[in-house]
Amino acid sequence: MKRLFLALGFLALFLALFLMEKGAYAQDEITIGVIYPLTGGAASAGRELQMGAELAMEIANGKMPELAMDMAKEAGIKSMGGKKIKLIFKDHEGNPTLGADLAKKLILDDKVVGILGCYHSSVTKAVSAVCEQYGVPMINDSSTSPVLTRQGYKWFWRTTPHDGTFTMDLFEFLKGLSEGKAKGVKPVPKEELMNLAAACEKTEWGSAASQLLEDYAKKYGYNLKRNLLYTAKSADLSSEVRSLLAVNPDAMLFASYTSDAILMVKTLKAQKAKPKLIWGQNAGFDTPEFRSTLGEDIVGILTRTVFSPKLGEVKTISTQINELYKKKAGYDLSDASSRGFTGVQTWFHVLEKAGSTKPEDIQRAANSIEIPGEQLVVPWKGIKFATSGEEPGQNIMGSGIIGQYQKNKEGQVVLEIVYPFELSTANLIYPFPGY
Amino acid sequence: MEAIRNALDFKDLPRSEVYLSWAVALFLIIFPLLPFSSFAMATMIQFLIFAVYGMGWNTIGGYGGQVDLGKAQYVGIGAYTTTVALIRWDIPFWVSMPLGMAISVLWSFMIGYPLFKLKGHYFAIATIATSLVLKDLFEVWGFVGAARGLHISPVKYPPPDFLRLIFKEDVYYYYLLLGFFFLAVFVMNWFRHSALGYRLRCIKDNEEVAKALGINVHWAKIKTYALATAYVSAMGSVHAMYIKNIEPEDTMSLDISVLIALMAMLGGAGSLWGPIIGAAVLVPMKSYLKEWMGAKMGLIGIDLIIYGFIIMVIAAVEPKGLWGLYERWKGKRSAP
Amino acid sequence: MASEVLLQAIVAGLLFGMVLSVVALGLTIIFGVMDIVNFAHGEFLMIGMYTGLLVSQYTGADPLFALPVAAVIGGLLGYLCYWLFVRLLLRGPMLAQLLGTFGLMLFLRNLALLLFGSEDRSIQKGILVGKSVVIFGSCVVPSTKLGAAVLAVLAFLGTYLFIEKTKIGKALQATAINPHAARFMGISTDRMNALAWVIGGAGVTVAGGLLVNFWAVNPYVGLLFTMLAFTIVALGGFGSVPGAFFAGLIVGIITEFPGIWDAISLWTGWNWMYKVPMISFKYTWVYLAYFLIMLITPKGLFGWKR
Repeated sequence: MKRLFLALGFLALFLALFLMEKGAYAQDEITIGVIYPLTGGAASAGRELQMGAELAMEIANGKMPELAMDMAKEAGIKSMGGKKIKLIFKDHEGNPTLGADLAKKLILDDKVVGILGCYHSSVTKAVSAVCEQYGVPMINDSSTSPVLTRQGYKWFWRTTPHDGTFTMDLFEFLKGLSEGKAKGVKPVPKEELMNLAAACEKTEWGSAASQLLEDYAKKYGYNLKRNLLYTAKSADLSSEVRSLLAVNPDAMLFASYTSDAILMVKTLKAQKAKPKLIWGQNAGFDTPEFRSTLGEDIVGILTRTVFSPKLGEVKTISTQINELYKKKAGYDLSDASSRGFTGVQTWFHVLEKAGSTKPEDIQRAANSIEIPGEQLVVPWKGIKFATSGEEPGQNIMGSGIIGQYQKNKEGQVVLEIVYPFELSTANLIYPFPGY
Repeated sequence: MEAIRNALDFKDLPRSEVYLSWAVALFLIIFPLLPFSSFAMATMIQFLIFAVYGMGWNTIGGYGGQVDLGKAQYVGIGAYTTTVALIRWDIPFWVSMPLGMAISVLWSFMIGYPLFKLKGHYFAIATIATSLVLKDLFEVWGFVGAARGLHISPVKYPPPDFLRLIFKEDVYYYYLLLGFFFLAVFVMNWFRHSALGYRLRCIKDNEEVAKALGINVHWAKIKTYALATAYVSAMGSVHAMYIKNIEPEDTMSLDISVLIALMAMLGGAGSLWGPIIGAAVLVPMKSYLKEWMGAKMGLIGIDLIIYGFIIMVIAAVEPKGLWGLYERWKGKRSAP
Repeated sequence: MASEVLLQAIVAGLLFGMVLSVVALGLTIIFGVMDIVNFAHGEFLMIGMYTGLLVSQYTGADPLFALPVAAVIGGLLGYLCYWLFVRLLLRGPMLAQLLGTFGLMLFLRNLALLLFGSEDRSIQKGILVGKSVVIFGSCVVPSTKLGAAVLAVLAFLGTYLFIEKTKIGKALQATAINPHAARFMGISTDRMNALAWVIGGAGVTVAGGLLVNFWAVNPYVGLLFTMLAFTIVALGGFGSVPGAFFAGLIVGIITEFPGIWDAISLWTGWNWMYKVPMISFKYTWVYLAYFLIMLITPKGLFGWKR
């Protein structure tokens, strides 16, 4: 009999464990679930995204009339009686299954109005499927695999341009280089940059990027001699780098997350690589950690990006937000933080337009909003989502830039804009100085 | 007939155990009616999945004493077969799951034959090696999506779909898994009473004696390994339909193999209830520790630290696991 | 070009192999003396790597100077592990040893995760960092790798001489060959076991201190090296110290197989060879090698035990 009681006691403990649940959030707040990689190999980008998103939330919830943004004019969301936005951050560690679990939990237990995230394209893919299943709107601010908007989802919108755009930018840049359009560089004969070698990380994002490089290289008549996929988690990339160097490439192209991007550049240096051009597909090549760890070793490296502090020279709003961000983080806005910022900003506009938290209203609003380019920190023409065609939910007014790390007069390494050519803020350094 | 009678025959167990298992079964059946969060539901689903994985492992690892640390490869084969079959040829789950089991069993024969020439640690390490080789292959094999993995689109297959096993609510998966779980218990019970089960226990106790008794040791191990494989592969198929997003790094990672083996060993290898107890203790502990101390307090990894520590203590104090502790305690009590 | 690539690959493989043989040294000694397989071996290595990293971060010197610290920490860790934990496991069946060392692996790995976070970390400063030397005319070798390899050979030689030439080393060997007879000769097997763990622990943490010179560290780094070490020990023969050295070199070259493949494809000029994603199978060959060695020659190259 005693044993039975013991067993029952055990069961009761079990039940008690399950019953402890979180209380619901207050009704006067609109909760958005934000899923980012706050730990793991891309943690530094995740923290950037988080700080950018938090800054946008602070601006949306407060009143800052000096900023020329709709979101700064009133405290909270006017159409809903000044309700505040609340972001619930979750950490997906770069793991798609975990991301999908978190999304489910946010939707069912935390009853979030919408989802924002997730940086890794693989995670975004899994999370967007969950959102689609439950009919919960999701805005993606930072994943660039073209596949994501080609799935025919009705609850998925993406603010950032995807890698199709960025890869085309790269080849347009190479073409312009041979036509002598680049600032401060004589026309480079195409034969001189004929041989390309690429290494991309092998999950969703890198695989898609690698495929795009292959396609565009063919289209533009370049010879992609080697196209490697590697594991972003690997702790040693020397055989990968040697394999790239074995084909004697003129330009080396990468799609890497944070820690592997750093390792890659270090290994290139140790192997005394001398390509004429190094280009990174954003992500790891555009994080503050990449800059601070490698210091002067990155001078001359190109990366596609959507933000550079240099943009302030043409856009006042970028400077203003950058100042606010600097106060918060201690350094400049970067690609990731500006995209996180823009993600929350888009959520604000969508909610303002929807006027309620009903998913159908949000869906309708998202399909019809148009944020003018003057209000954005990023150099896009605006935000307006495609409602039909091949890529529903994709922002059709986005564009990318290519930046190059250069040393300024004070000896700091900064990201200068070199493409589009008409926006260039400095002379292009060509060829890559080498180590 | 004999097999079915064996499967349903629990008479050799003490009465208290039978009553207790009835109570647990009843609880599992009514669980979705209770007002729990979706997190609790997800945890219970994980529990059911890992309990069945563990039962599969227990045949060869527990009753046979061959520590297999490569079960993830069969999770992978099962998961990939159903997903590829669905995406490429739209084959319903109920056809592709047995197909996956067949492929897994075939593969298990192929590698089982050489594997079982090894013993002890050498065998354990070799199973890890085979699992990693298969994972590396899947990571470059474009047909199965390479490292990007495969993804079941909710648009293409609208829920609920009983043929393809696509549901929106977890409760469908729960009852489905519960069905598999009960079935697995019955099959385990059959195995316990079967000639193969007895042979295997004899092999575990002393291989030389088993050989002298005329048991084909190598063949008995391979057969049991195939049985374990079938369990794991079937669950892998359901798991894939449940998570809808599979990739080698996740589905076939060594962590899965290790978790399967550890849960079974911790609960008590070589006993009917051991793997179930192991999963019932470790799965909720892991997910709740992770939620409370990991996510809320920022102590990343604390769940596995505690987990690892418990495993160390159990290994040092009572190698037969929690079930061994229980039996020892029971033995002390019934002694005069 | 082809010969250059081949030379690069072989040199890199040999240098890596020298460090690998030190990684496997501890495993083979512990195995030889007491027939126990330590699944937490790679985690000891990780601790050594973090030791090297942290010492170099605080002093600004190369992790090479942190080797004594790593050795002391590793030896202490091995000693504690033996007295507090492994001794208890020895009473149980093989299953308990597996379970226990696996638990230890999980424990150490996640402790590191809690303390250091999951980010990859690597050394940024030091005399050797970022420099490379050119040997044989055209073969670029990072100085960190070269330094680590040279020290690895020295560490290996030291341990070998200790076991072969000193009295304690001889006692250790005696325990390995026949514990019963050793006990009759007045050798305390318990103390010899502890000594094996001290040497094993110190050896592998030193290897970690060497490895961190050119290899990023994160809490999950251990498993790969556990597998590599098992393969080396299997190839060299369980319990054989010189075997571990030569097997380490061979396994080092096996990990450079993609480079050799590149060289062949350059030499033949066959286009299909370029397309094979050989780099994804960097370690697959090592796992396959373990499998084959165990089937074909379970005693390995220099094995005497089993």
